[in-house]
This record gives sequence, C-alpha cells and structure tokens, in this order.
Amino acid sequence: MTPVVLLLLFVLVTGCGSTNAGNAAAEAAARSCPAAWRGGWQALANRIQAPVYCPTWMPDPLDARIGGKYANGESVSRDRSYLVSFIWREPGSGEVHVNLRGYPGRTRIPTCSDLDTDKPVPCFSDPKGSLRGGDIVARVYTANQGADQWHVLYAWRRSGSLYAISEHVSPPYTYARVVRNLNRMLTNLVLVPANS
Amino acid sequence: MRLTRRQALVGAATSGLGAVGLYELVDRLTSSPATRSQGRLLPEQHLLDGLAVMRDNGVAVVVPPLHHAVITAQVVTGNLRGARLELEETLVDLERRYAPTPAGLGVTVAWGLPYFRRHVPKQAHLHLPVDLRASRTESRTTSALADAMRFPSDPVDTILEANDVAVLLRSDVRAHIEDGERRLFRGSSILHVTSIRRGFVGSDFRSGPSLAKRMAQAAGVDGAELIPDDAQLFLGFTSTQQAALGPRRIANFETLGYVDLGPRGYFLNGTHMHLSHVFEDLASWYQTFDFQERVDTAFKPGLEVKPGVVTVSEGPAEAASAAAVRRGFNRDGRIGHSTSIQSTSRLERDVVADDGTVYKRGTAVPQRADFNTLDNPFAWSTSPERDRMQDPPAAGLHFVVFNPTSDDFRRNRLAMDGVLPDGTRLPFGARDRNQGFNAVLSTSHRQNFLVPPRRHRSFPLAEL
Repeated sequence: MTPVVLLLLFVLVTGCGSTNAGNAAAEAAARSCPAAWRGGWQALANRIQAPVYCPTWMPDPLDARIGGKYANGESVSRDRSYLVSFIWREPGSGEVHVNLRGYPGRTRIPTCSDLDTDKPVPCFSDPKGSLRGGDIVARVYTANQGADQWHVLYAWRRSGSLYAISEHVSPPYTYARVVRNLNRMLTNLVLVPANS
Repeated sequence: MRLTRRQALVGAATSGLGAVGLYELVDRLTSSPATRSQGRLLPEQHLLDGLAVMRDNGVAVVVPPLHHAVITAQVVTGNLRGARLELEETLVDLERRYAPTPAGLGVTVAWGLPYFRRHVPKQAHLHLPVDLRASRTESRTTSALADAMRFPSDPVDTILEANDVAVLLRSDVRAHIEDGERRLFRGSSILHVTSIRRGFVGSDFRSGPSLAKRMAQAAGVDGAELIPDDAQLFLGFTSTQQAALGPRRIANFETLGYVDLGPRGYFLNGTHMHLSHVFEDLASWYQTFDFQERVDTAFKPGLEVKPGVVTVSEGPAEAASAAAVRRGFNRDGRIGHSTSIQSTSRLERDVVADDGTVYKRGTAVPQRADFNTLDNPFAWSTSPERDRMQDPPAAGLHFVVFNPTSDDFRRNRLAMDGVLPDGTRLPFGARDRNQGFNAVLSTSHRQNFLVPPRRHRSFPLAEL
C-alpha cells in the first residue's frame, strides 16, 4: 500500500467525529496528559531530562498510568532511552500489549540481538510507508525485535530524538484493528517536557 | 468480505462435491481470464499445453491455471476391466468438451501404491518402473513409486495417506473443474471420494493487491494484510519462474535414465507425483522475518534483492551446488529454501535425454503444480476426524510436484531439511528458523502417486 493510500486510510479511520485532519491536529494540540497518568510521565521526563510522549487514548481495556494496574514495566537505560509497557492478558481471550519508547539524543533505529541467532539486527524493520497523526509523521514497521516482536510499530523523529509506539497483533484485536488503535494513539499523543 | 468456513460450505452436498464456497471469490476478485491458445493432447497426462509466460522483474514467469482441485478416492469395485472402460469413457468425454489447456481443463489421474498392491499386485510387480539410482544407493531393487515418508522437519503426526487414486484438475474456469468433478465422481459406483482439496494461484504483478492477498484477507487469515501486493503465493515470492520449473518432458520416467521401465515399457511417458498439504504460518513469516531475512530464507543467505521485489531470477547459472550450500551454512549458519533444494533438484551436469534432447547443467528437474489453499486442511474429507478437519480457513499450500521417481522427490525434500546429496547432514533442529522455510511450514498430509501415460491412465495394468 502506498504512503498516500495509508495516509488517506489514516485520515478516514481516525476521523472519530472530527471534520478534517486540521481539526484533529488542533484537538490533539489542545489535549493534555490525563491528570491520573501525568505524574508518572512527568517523572519519566524529568528522570531522562528529555520530553516524553504521554498517550491520552489507549486501546480498551488499557490505561497509560505508569505503575497502574496495566503497567508492565518501565525501564530506562544508561543512554536515557526508555521503554514503558502496558498489558492486559486473559487466558483464552488474548492480550492487549502496548509499548512506548524514546531514544533521547539519537535518531538512528537501534540495534537488537536476533532472538534466535544473537546477530545484531535493526530493532524495527520492514518499513511499510509513513503516515501523519497530529504533528507527527511516523514510519510503520511490521517486523520488530525484542519486546516489540509480533507488534506493529510506529516510529518518528522529533528534535534529534527517536520515539516509537507499538501494539501486539493478537486476539482480541486483528491486524486492522491494531493499526486503527495505533493511529488513534498517535493522533492523541501529548508531549510532556522535562522540568528543569 | 469475510467468510467463515461454515458459511463457505453452506449448500455442500454430502459428498463434498460442489462445495466450492470460499473459492467462488476467486472469480469475483479476478478479471475474466484471457483466452489461451488451443492445446494438444500429449502422451503425458501431467503436461498442460497452452501455458502463457509473462515477465516480472525481467524474469520469465509461467502463468499457471487460476483454479485447482485434487480429488482423492478409493476404488470400490472388483470389476476393474469394466471400471477401466467406464473411467476412460468419462475422461475422453471431458477431453471432447474441454481443450487440455488452462482455458479448458487439465486432468491428471495418478494412482497410489494401495491401488497397485490391492488390485493389480502381480502386474505391478512386473511392470512398475524400477528406480535404478535408488536401487544402487540402497543395494536393493527399489520401485520408482515408494510409500511417502515423514521428513526431519515434518511434525510427528503428519498423516501418510493411503488413497488409491488422486485426480488433479486445473483450469482458469472454475465451472470446468466443477463439471469435471461431477462427471468423474458424482454417483460413481467405481470410485468413492475420500477428500477434496481446492485452491488457486495467480498474480498479474501489476494491478493492486494480488489474488493471494485478497483471498487471505477475505478469509481473515492472520498475517494476510502483510502479504505483498504482487504475491503469487501466500509467502510472497513468485514460485513459477520458467527457469525454476522442469522443462517439458524432463520429469518423465524415461527422460533422464533414472528408471528401468520394465519388459514392455508400460509406463513410458508417465511420471511420479507427490501430493502434500502444508500449513503456512503467515503471521510468523511476515512479523518475525524482515524482508532481507525472508530473502535469505526463501533463496540464499545474503542475496541482494531490491525491497518489495517478489520475483527473483533462479536460472541455471544461479543454481547452487551442495558444496555452495555447505559453504553458505558454514559462513551464515543458515540455508535458503531454493538453494538447498537446488543441490538435488538441478542437473549436476549436461544430460542427453532418451530422445536426444540436451538438458544443460543447472536445469530444474521437478515440475511443480502447487497452489494456495484456504482449506483446513481439506475442503472436504470422508474422515474428518482422521484428517483433523477444522472449521476456520487456514493459509496453506497443496503441494503437487512431478519428479521422475519417489526417491528423486525424497532427495529434494531432504535437501530442504539440510540433508545434502552427498549424505552431509547440516546440524539443524526440527523446523529450525535457519533451515529455509521450515519454521513457518507444517505438513499435515503426504502421499506419493504414479502418473501413468495418457493411454494407461484408467485403472492401469487392469487389462493385463
């Protein structure tokens, strides 16, 4: 699918009551990180001394409260890159698993060890075009490594840093639904700057 | 549009004949097939005349018929001579109705060892071709038609089937296949259908998502959205490069001198057919292998292919030897599907055939006739429990291939598992990720058949 088609689809599926993409961007700009979640995201931004993206919408049943009932870990590496993960899992029903990542001060796709061969491989691979959500233009990757294996992942660059969100393609959600979820998450991200 | 298997089977007759359901979509998703040239009735049943050739990425690609079906059956009569006349009459009638081309109907009748053992054991002992190469290797007389086996990468529960007969029907027109099925099997007192397997193959490499992708999406198969738009097969890469298919008569018993045809050459112009069903894990293939790894896996580790390309040249000059596969394994720790098989499926040297034709080194021997399926694992089975029939559609392949002997197929399939023709066994675990496609394939059923020449296709040896 061409990037243009992806973009058109994206605009269609993320309309969600908006009359056009401009309005969606304006709405996103006006949003803020939900009060119940903001503390965790602000603390993360302060810890890495770089802006982080707080999601204001999450796929059902998740919320994005760091340390909350769906929290699946928050890790910060020495290079200040972070991974924040949320998961809902029910045997027999499936799982909803979302990762949010940031790599302050670097824009190159990181390198992972292949799970089977241990060889260095790009953590995000198989680009499938770009799409826009709010003021973010993200690239879609469908073959990913580590905690993002089996996920569809959107990655984008902002002010010399790389950011990513991803969601596991797993029941109860289909691939198409995961893409819709990611589109909606992307449109509704809010930047939380670090307090100096 | 998404159909469940149950919806797809609504209206099915109890015999399964006519239950085409999901596959009706193929016609809705493709334009009217182009009229193809008239064909000749060749002495070989397995050869289909009038196949078009197109080019993609500069590579000549054979255009296979759009619709495929394989019907397996048991012989349910003791009157073989009468049955022979009856079946032959029906086959001749089909030939009168349809040209032996994709525009008409290709019919290939293949017979399994259970038929030869139960119904014509004495004649079979005398006339079944002997595989000279395998007999040398195994130091005992080995038939060109052997029982199917489980290969190292097969699941332990792969079913080794025991059908008497399998009929392969191929056409661009689904109605022709349905008519063939009806005339051959409906109400038959000589053949009792045991399974029906259906599928399709095709891509014009040009206009939008291919048939394979759209069918997989319609069926709601995991990973369908990630199938490349140009894909001919679910796994993405083109499979019918002209140079990767054996030329016309090469798979005949007599052509390469692999076989002793016996005292009367009864099966001259015949061949061997392997039939299996393979599940394909598309989600794993597209989500855990990136494009380069898919190229490495499908073809050769490190092969440079432009992103998005689905048709890769596999000419004689590019064929890999066993030594090259071994070197690649030592360097990369992995083997590609095509190159590992090429170590046995391509001619090691120029060969002058029985009719004087020179087949150059690197020429492919097997003639594949495999096709995409959404059967799980079959469209219909007389033994649904034994065949582990499931309701939801599943991505897979009905693998049909013509080789000169069972042993020739066995060598190719073992090479796919890293067992090279010189006996070298590359150290892989079962379904190792580095062992070609094996990590995403799972074979549910296998059987070998003998394809007699057209003149003996109906109840072979029964007249002797």
